[in-house]
Amino acid sequence: MSITGVRRVGTFLAVVGLLGLGVVYWLSFFWVSTEASQGIVQRIFYVHPPAAWTAFFAFGIAALTSGMYLWLRDERLDWAALSAAEGGMVFGTIMLITGPLWGRIAWGTYWTWEPRLTLTLLLWFIFLGYFMVRRSTENPEQGKRFSAVVAIVGALLIPFIHLSVVWFRSLHPEPVVVRPDGPLLPGDMLTLLLTSLAVFLVLFLGLFMLRYTLEGIRADLQVRARRAAA
Amino acid sequence: MRQVGVIVWKDLLLELRTRERFAAMGSFAVLAGVLFNFSIDASLVRPQDVAAGLIWMTIVFDGLLGLGRTFHLEGEDGAFQGVLMSPAPKDAIFLGKAISNFVLLYAVALLVLGVFMLFFGLEIGSSPLALLLALGLGVLGFVALATLFAAVSSGTRMGETMLPILVFPLLVPMVIYGAGATGRLLAGRPVAEVAGNLRVLAAFALVALAAGAGLFRFVVED
Repeated sequence: MSITGVRRVGTFLAVVGLLGLGVVYWLSFFWVSTEASQGIVQRIFYVHPPAAWTAFFAFGIAALTSGMYLWLRDERLDWAALSAAEGGMVFGTIMLITGPLWGRIAWGTYWTWEPRLTLTLLLWFIFLGYFMVRRSTENPEQGKRFSAVVAIVGALLIPFIHLSVVWFRSLHPEPVVVRPDGPLLPGDMLTLLLTSLAVFLVLFLGLFMLRYTLEGIRADLQVRARRAAA
Repeated sequence: MRQVGVIVWKDLLLELRTRERFAAMGSFAVLAGVLFNFSIDASLVRPQDVAAGLIWMTIVFDGLLGLGRTFHLEGEDGAFQGVLMSPAPKDAIFLGKAISNFVLLYAVALLVLGVFMLFFGLEIGSSPLALLLALGLGVLGFVALATLFAAVSSGTRMGETMLPILVFPLLVPMVIYGAGATGRLLAGRPVAEVAGNLRVLAAFALVALAAGAGLFRFVVED
């Protein structure tokens, strides 16, 4: 797909995602039934897990495309890794803000060393390193390689980090969706959660493609500037 | 294999002759022990209860201090270019660097252990051998990551300042299982209780070493 094509699809998905976000908010405030024991704060649930899953998905794409970049050395793979990593940071930040807000009411504390919260925080910092490395090299090509190495090492060690933080302590609500004996959620809550997840993913893909386009245009501009100078 | 040995020998000889890094890291270990001792109010917590965690944090900070300079001496007059241009494969260079760093940091870790046992009045615990193994496996995993990222950070403008940001998020398993095992062993618990910890530490070290050996070539090319 040409850069223009990516931009068109990206714009379309981002607009659909933003409109969908409006619908999700409306549904979670006015349509879905209130959860019996937690009451109104439970509604943040339609933002928090979808943001977390989208962030994990985005970081996964970033690690995958980073590995492929080191292997194939196609600039476009690096643009994809950078765009996915930025998306992951955005959705990871949303997860990290909504989690403690809910935790303050439900658990009585903003922060706990709950495994999945800790894991996301660490992932967030691994990718902070990804961006810092990238921006502090003299030679941009070197920065691309360095940041790809950071993403790959992070991806390789994530199972260990996950294992260790789970081992350390667990207080998070048990899974209510992905369970061997089927989801535990009432129908309308599950519908809204899945709708929200779809919306978040569409929004991420839209932003991802727009960000990718920006990198493409930037690279193209550099080539033209060099040609003009020559 | 022989090339790995040559790099290890070269680095250790260099360290033995200059004693630059060991002197700095050794002094750091003792001074950190002194400061930690004064940071604890013995009427609130027993120093023995927090010693295991402090031992590991001292090793981590001390390790970053010394390992950040892995490529410093050779970088100064471009000697590392010579090492890279030698016929030794890049993964052999990495393993050589990691092993010489391991020898250095393990010696420092033993010193840290000794200092804390002396200052905090610790007993050697149930199994000195398992304690040495836990320290060794933890240090090995740490050294693998720190050596790889020392190469990355010395290529950036920020230099060693970058190293903790890259390494710390990845150290969580090492600290949890390492400090957990050390604490239990020092408290005299049976070795069987920490066998799981030791296995995870070993697996962590293996994956970190393999990742470092595989990815080092992408860090030092050009």
